[in-house]
Amino acid sequence: MSAAEKMSRRDEMEALLPFYLNGTLEGAELEAVEEWLSNDPAAMAALGEAEAEFSGATAANEAIRPPADALSRFTRALDAEARPARTPAASSWLRQAFDRFMAIPAPVAWAAAAALLALVIVQSQLQPGGKGKDFEVAGQEDDLAKMPFALVKFKADAKMADIVAFLDGNGLKIAGGPTASGVFRIAIPAGTTADYKKLLGLIAAQSFADTVLEGRKPVDGG
Amino acid sequence: MNLFGPIGDKADESQAAQPAMSAAIDTDRALVERVAKGDRAAVRLLFMRHHARVYRFVARQTGSEMMADDIANEVFLELWKQAPNFEGRSEVSTWLLGIARFKALSMLRRKKEDWIDDEAAAAVPDSADTPEVATMKEDKGAALRRCVDALPEEHRVVIDLAYYHGQSVTEIGEVLGIPVATVKTRMFYARKKLGEALKAAGYDRGWP
Repeated sequence: MSAAEKMSRRDEMEALLPFYLNGTLEGAELEAVEEWLSNDPAAMAALGEAEAEFSGATAANEAIRPPADALSRFTRALDAEARPARTPAASSWLRQAFDRFMAIPAPVAWAAAAALLALVIVQSQLQPGGKGKDFEVAGQEDDLAKMPFALVKFKADAKMADIVAFLDGNGLKIAGGPTASGVFRIAIPAGTTADYKKLLGLIAAQSFADTVLEGRKPVDGG
Repeated sequence: MNLFGPIGDKADESQAAQPAMSAAIDTDRALVERVAKGDRAAVRLLFMRHHARVYRFVARQTGSEMMADDIANEVFLELWKQAPNFEGRSEVSTWLLGIARFKALSMLRRKKEDWIDDEAAAAVPDSADTPEVATMKEDKGAALRRCVDALPEEHRVVIDLAYYHGQSVTEIGEVLGIPVATVKTRMFYARKKLGEALKAAGYDRGWP
């Protein structure tokens, strides 16, 4: 083995030593490091130097002390959060969009959510039945022509997961929107005015609802 | 056979103790499953278990404990929101560090032009001493710590992730979003620079 090759091998081993020390090295690389440690007199000294680095890096990190009240402040912030959104039934495209939604700041996210919901509507018009698994979309012309609806604007910091869960849980459908001002048309599956008003009251009571306006009501004369 | 047992925080996680380590990892994952079902106590347990490391990781990246405080909180709130999407392809600790890394870089980009870092300024050594001179005044342990701190961020982070966070080559690649070959290259240069800095301070370790 030439001097250059030996140096190259040592460089390679030196790069692996930290992983040998932290116990994550395995397979051929673990065998190579152990073989080097067994056969090269310089290897033991190198291991000692890496151990010193290990201690130095650990000390440098542990010198940083997190605030003592971090947990209590986190608990307060956590209490202000809704339950995590469960998305196992989401279709893959909606799930990907949802993931991206959750990863971006709220004001931007809401604009994205509006676009996403618009996309749901477009897709429902393209796919027979137009029914999503997370919430139903009134995508057919007959539905739009017949169903009562309400006009709803969501708060800027509303969480899409909450809206999806609410719509899904109450059989509500996105019938249209959003408009330039962020208003959605929500189809209301109510046969009577009383039921219609009850559902509107339910929507208005949600923390994510900003404005709820009556649209077409059921034709029951009520 | 491993000739030398791991040291530091991983000392109790040697090959002989492998089942115990797996159990701990399973517990993390079990907690994430509970979080996904809306269990707030589970996310607090994960916070207690991982917060210090996430906080330190961000503090080392940003040079600001104030930013570390904000970002570490955000990381665990993100865990709360994203737990249903955790598929267990990586360890929970690696997942959290990846989120922390992303958030730290995002915040650094936002703050790049207008943020005056008083904390970082206060941390700069006295101008009368160059890092090498300052290092010479210390023992080797303190010198090493200072040299680690003085590494460029892309090198220091692989040192921290391997030595302090106990991450594997693959896991570091996941956290930083770089190929494993790049992780090894950065580790090589990080250790090379450390050796050179120590040599300049009078501690020649024979490599590089």
